[in-house]
Amino acid sequence: MTRLRARLETTVSASMSNAGQVLRWCECQFTTLVGLLGRVRDVAGRAMRAHWQKVRGIKSAQRSPSLFRKYATLLVALVGGSLVISASIEMYYSYWQNRDALSAVQREKALGAAAVIEQFVKEIENQVGWAAGFLPAGSGIDQRRYDFLRLLRQAQAITEVSYIDPEGREQIKVSRLTMDTAASGADLSQEPKFTQARANKRYFSQVYFRKESEPYLTLSMAGAARSAGVTVAEVNLKFIWDVISRIQVGKAGVAYVVDDRGFLIAHPDIGVVLRKTDLSGLSHVAFALNRLRDPGIKVPAISRDRTGREVLTAFAPIATLGWLVFVDLPLTEALQPVYAALERSAFVLAGGLLFAALVGVWLARRMVVPIRALATGAARIGGGDLDHRIDIRSRDEVQSLADSFNDMGGRLKESYATLEHKVADRTRELSEALSQLRGLIDVSQAINSTLDLQALLEAILAHACRLADAGGGAIYTFEESTEEFNLAAAYGMSHELIEAVHKAHRRLHDDSPMSQCVLKRSAIEVTDLASKSHYQMRDALMRADVRALLAVPLLREDAIVGALMVRRAHPGTFGNSMIDLMQSFASQSALAIQNARLFQEIEDKSRQLESASQHKSQFLANMSHELRTPLNAILGYNELMQDGLYGELPSKTKEVLGRMEKNGKHLLGLINDVLDLAKIEAGQLTLSLDKYSMQDIVQTVVSATESLAAAKQLPLNVEIADSMPNGRGDERRLTQVLLNLVGNAIKFTDEGAIRIAARANNGIFAVEVADTGPGIPETERGRIFEEFHQVDNSNTKKKGGTGLGLAIAKRIIELHRGRIWVESQVGRGSTFHFEVPVRAEQRGGTA
Amino acid sequence: MTKRILIIEDQEDNRAIMRDLLSTAGYALIEAVDGEEGVRLARSERPDLILMDIQLPVLDGYEATRRIRAIADLKSVPIIAVTSYALSGDEAKTREAGCDSYVAKPFSPRELLAKVRALLPNG
Repeated sequence: MTRLRARLETTVSASMSNAGQVLRWCECQFTTLVGLLGRVRDVAGRAMRAHWQKVRGIKSAQRSPSLFRKYATLLVALVGGSLVISASIEMYYSYWQNRDALSAVQREKALGAAAVIEQFVKEIENQVGWAAGFLPAGSGIDQRRYDFLRLLRQAQAITEVSYIDPEGREQIKVSRLTMDTAASGADLSQEPKFTQARANKRYFSQVYFRKESEPYLTLSMAGAARSAGVTVAEVNLKFIWDVISRIQVGKAGVAYVVDDRGFLIAHPDIGVVLRKTDLSGLSHVAFALNRLRDPGIKVPAISRDRTGREVLTAFAPIATLGWLVFVDLPLTEALQPVYAALERSAFVLAGGLLFAALVGVWLARRMVVPIRALATGAARIGGGDLDHRIDIRSRDEVQSLADSFNDMGGRLKESYATLEHKVADRTRELSEALSQLRGLIDVSQAINSTLDLQALLEAILAHACRLADAGGGAIYTFEESTEEFNLAAAYGMSHELIEAVHKAHRRLHDDSPMSQCVLKRSAIEVTDLASKSHYQMRDALMRADVRALLAVPLLREDAIVGALMVRRAHPGTFGNSMIDLMQSFASQSALAIQNARLFQEIEDKSRQLESASQHKSQFLANMSHELRTPLNAILGYNELMQDGLYGELPSKTKEVLGRMEKNGKHLLGLINDVLDLAKIEAGQLTLSLDKYSMQDIVQTVVSATESLAAAKQLPLNVEIADSMPNGRGDERRLTQVLLNLVGNAIKFTDEGAIRIAARANNGIFAVEVADTGPGIPETERGRIFEEFHQVDNSNTKKKGGTGLGLAIAKRIIELHRGRIWVESQVGRGSTFHFEVPVRAEQRGGTA
Repeated sequence: MTKRILIIEDQEDNRAIMRDLLSTAGYALIEAVDGEEGVRLARSERPDLILMDIQLPVLDGYEATRRIRAIADLKSVPIIAVTSYALSGDEAKTREAGCDSYVAKPFSPRELLAKVRALLPNG
């Protein structure tokens, strides 16, 4: 029985720990689920935030149309800028080219003029030189006149020619204007025209104006001989004016000649010349004059003329005379081509700018329109319209960008679809797991709540089949003695199939998946029954529309308990997770079967025990009767004989009868005690609860023991409290207890007194019996309430007694939910106490 | 008039003791050896008092008592149950069945006589 109980407890605790594991797994799954949902929520939140940020970004881009303006401005600036730069460069070079070209032309003209004038002067010089040198100093005057006249005829520019003799006297003078004078003898020896010519062979005077209108120059030349005189010619420089006037310099340009002091010698406006204008104040004239002395000086090409106009100027020196020929061209005229070029450039620039603006606008539009379309499209795709396609056919990067966006939209849609699929899959998996869990929990609860094996197995099987998507299934239990499987529960099985199973006598060592699974201690799966031609049940199963099956062993501590079968109508594998799940169900089933078997065993045992106990009671009752019946006769006759019913007896005989009676009663007591104890042990001793009076019990005991006490001369002192309440309990048993205690007290006390006290306190009757006997050693005090125990065996033998009285008294008091104990001092006596509730309740017997 | 006592007791020894005791005490005795006979004799003999053993063949003492009590004239006849040392509740059961008094075996003849005399005052 104890072994059974231990096994049962192990199984139940295993079941509980199994349930605990299931619940922990359950909790784990829920935690995973919650975590997953949290992650989905986070991802969704992030996606939403990112999406809104994107949408906001796109919207702000749409609001600002600056891209168009930027592009347009950039294009205009580019074209305009390049035009301006090119025009500037062109004008710069054009200016300098023009200026250089004009300067060169003017210089050429000046050089030309200078050459002509020099030639002219040279010719006159030659002619004069010829005239001077041709005649020796002593030649006659007439000869000279003649020569001079010829000279005048040949050289139109010479107005007057004279000869000064070596002493400085004018010998002859021939003039076109005045009368010729001969041998005037005028002393001219101090004149520069004489002295200079004598010194240098040749002399050019300053320009002077005759009649204040025509410029003249005095040219004097000495003859070759030392004694030669000096020939002086007055040269009209009007010829130079002719030369100058003929020089055409643009429209408003002029050429003019200045002498070595800067005075104007020749100018198209003769009036200016006649006014003896000094031009040395003009910067270019001054520089040019200085340059004659110092060739390193640069003469500015642009200067101002005497009227203050800006002019482009060039000059050429006349070396023999130290004169300068200037050619001035007003700058406005000189730069006329430059201005024209500038104007053209301006036109071109304006045209270019206009063109650039137009092109810029067009280009910008061409660029911005697709970009805007791209932005709008991207916003729509970003806004979740994943079907939207951006239509841009610009055949450039924008189009490829748009294509990328379209592609991205498509992929997003695809990935959303996949994501949704995944979420749906995961959700389905979770709900499957959940329903599996529910199934397991249901089964777990069923196992813990019912002992009806049949109902339990059917419930387990139904859950298993439902979760395995199996049309049918069965649980078999394994009978070790016959090595056969018995159908314990069926689900979705036709009568025909059940019949077939019963007929088949499923033995352990056949080749069925069921036998295989229990032999291998692992699940066996048949994915297509059609391929298992050797399988005994194949045809019956095929007829019942079974195509795939899974057999899972039911094992308990490696012992075969049975097998769980689930069957599907379609071929295919059950999958590992399903097999695992079915194994859980199998272990639950095994547990249930084990539990049920243990409970069955316990029930059987307890029925047997109950029956044995009943037999024992019956036996005890019978024994009691059978033992007492003869005693009844013995004691009855003994009493009748002692009472003299059968005639007077000798005193010795009476004494013997007395001994017989005493021993008979002792035997009766023994029989009674053994019976009581047996009943108590069997849990058969029940209290007969009724109203009683504690005073009455005490009185009954006192009356019953008075004679015994009196025989030993022991006073019985009784202390009964006043007004004790009526009690409820087993009066006869309580009397038995008190009688036992008082009887013992009298029995073990030889002198002194017995005291009996009873009182009620707080709903409890407290009774004590004190004696002045030998007392009980401390070591014995706990044991005296044990069966067949007496303090001192030799003493017991002397005193008699079964040794059962206190044990029975203890049980009776405990049945009343009270307590009994002893206080004792060796040599002084013992006091037995017991307490019982005033109102005792029925209490089941102790096993 | 001599009081008549019906002894229903299957044990000869016990019957003999009661017979010796009660006849000596001056009572007339009727004896039955089982419950059924007891009931029959009670009905026919109308005793003044019945000593009823409980463990009886054929019909046990409880049932016999109930049947006797069912007889109209015997509703008040004193019945003393004489039984083995009681299993707890025996006394109550005898009272329920209709017994007036109770004597446990092995009984003391003196005690039994006292109870009989108490129930038959004029005997």
